[in-house]
Amino acid sequence: MSHFNLDIVTPTQDLDEIEVDYLRCPGIDGSFGIMANHQDGVFSLDIGEIMIQSKSDTKFYSISGGFAEINNNEVCLLVETIELSSDIDISRAESAFQRANERKNNSNEEDFDEVRLKTALSRALNRLQVAKR
Amino acid sequence: MANLKDIRDRIKSVRSIQKVTKAMKMVAAAKMRRAQERMEQARPYTNRLVDVIHHLLPDVDRSLLPLLDIRPIQRVGYVIVASDRGLAGSFNTNVFKNVEIEINQIGKENVDLFCIGKKARDHFTRRGYTIIESHLEFWNDLDFHHAIKIGENIINHFVSKKVDEIHVCYNEFVNVATQTIQSEQLLPLDYKHEDSSTVFDRLYEPSKKELTKSLIPRHLNVQMWKYLLESYASEQAARMVAMENATENAEDMIKNLTLEFNKARQASITKEMLEIVGGAEALK
Repeated sequence: MSHFNLDIVTPTQDLDEIEVDYLRCPGIDGSFGIMANHQDGVFSLDIGEIMIQSKSDTKFYSISGGFAEINNNEVCLLVETIELSSDIDISRAESAFQRANERKNNSNEEDFDEVRLKTALSRALNRLQVAKR
Repeated sequence: MANLKDIRDRIKSVRSIQKVTKAMKMVAAAKMRRAQERMEQARPYTNRLVDVIHHLLPDVDRSLLPLLDIRPIQRVGYVIVASDRGLAGSFNTNVFKNVEIEINQIGKENVDLFCIGKKARDHFTRRGYTIIESHLEFWNDLDFHHAIKIGENIINHFVSKKVDEIHVCYNEFVNVATQTIQSEQLLPLDYKHEDSSTVFDRLYEPSKKELTKSLIPRHLNVQMWKYLLESYASEQAARMVAMENATENAEDMIKNLTLEFNKARQASITKEMLEIVGGAEALK
């Protein structure tokens, strides 16, 4: 199987470039896959799970939104946060989930921000889901 | 000649100051190393994002986003990135000087300031500038969320049309010995015109417009983060160098004082001997 280089960059770290056979990303309009020799482009990513299949293994990561750029058979993921499924802090995600739920119950408060609540909820849920992998 | 006890006391006090400056230098060096590491980790992300934006923007209509809006300039916002603490050589004064020169061209009364760091707030409050907001005492646990929070209000200030341009002035970290003052226009977003070599055969998902809408706020956050990181690393580097110099100066001072002390001691011994000899002579 032909492969391509994947570079994952976040504001706080630059992961080593890896050789990948198949990459699955959560796009804004549903998840999509990237294989070698994909057409160039820029794709917006949602909160969700990415799957990286390489020669040796398959790994799952949780991300909280970002962008994927494909340039000359090189893929770069610009994401705000990324965690390997086994590195996810489950208790932290659970407490975030609870906090968000509490906020939902107090939704008549003045500074209530629905968008923020929804993203917080989906981030927490996504982390919990990916952690089960 | 100064009296012996005075000199001895001075040597003692200089020595204790030297201990303090030495300790501060070590602390600054350790902090700088960490800051430098973080800065270098953040750089690839910033650069990549800028690349993507430069690919996208030339095709996007400026009226699409309020953040791209170019208006005639009546009021300008300045973001000044300085530090909470002093004793960092000319780190803060350089930024202030540069900002004041730029502000003088527009007029003090047409400028709104966002001060980051206590020193900036103090300096500009004392001189009667309009300060919209100041952010203090977060440097020790500097985090990406700070950048987002600081950026949010600055962007709102621009979008609500209170100012027509936002500039940022900060110290850029070149290396340990040099930091240069940078003044950049943050908003409205400026971009170089793409050369014709751009690839047109590219996929954009969702549409180019949607992408720009979500990319630009992110880009601004990352820019803000970059400013904070660069400034923090510069601050520590400047402090380290300043404290290194102070320690050296203290060393010189101790040397001179010791010399003076020995001279004074010698003089007093000579004087005593003369008195004894004179007394013995008189007895004869």
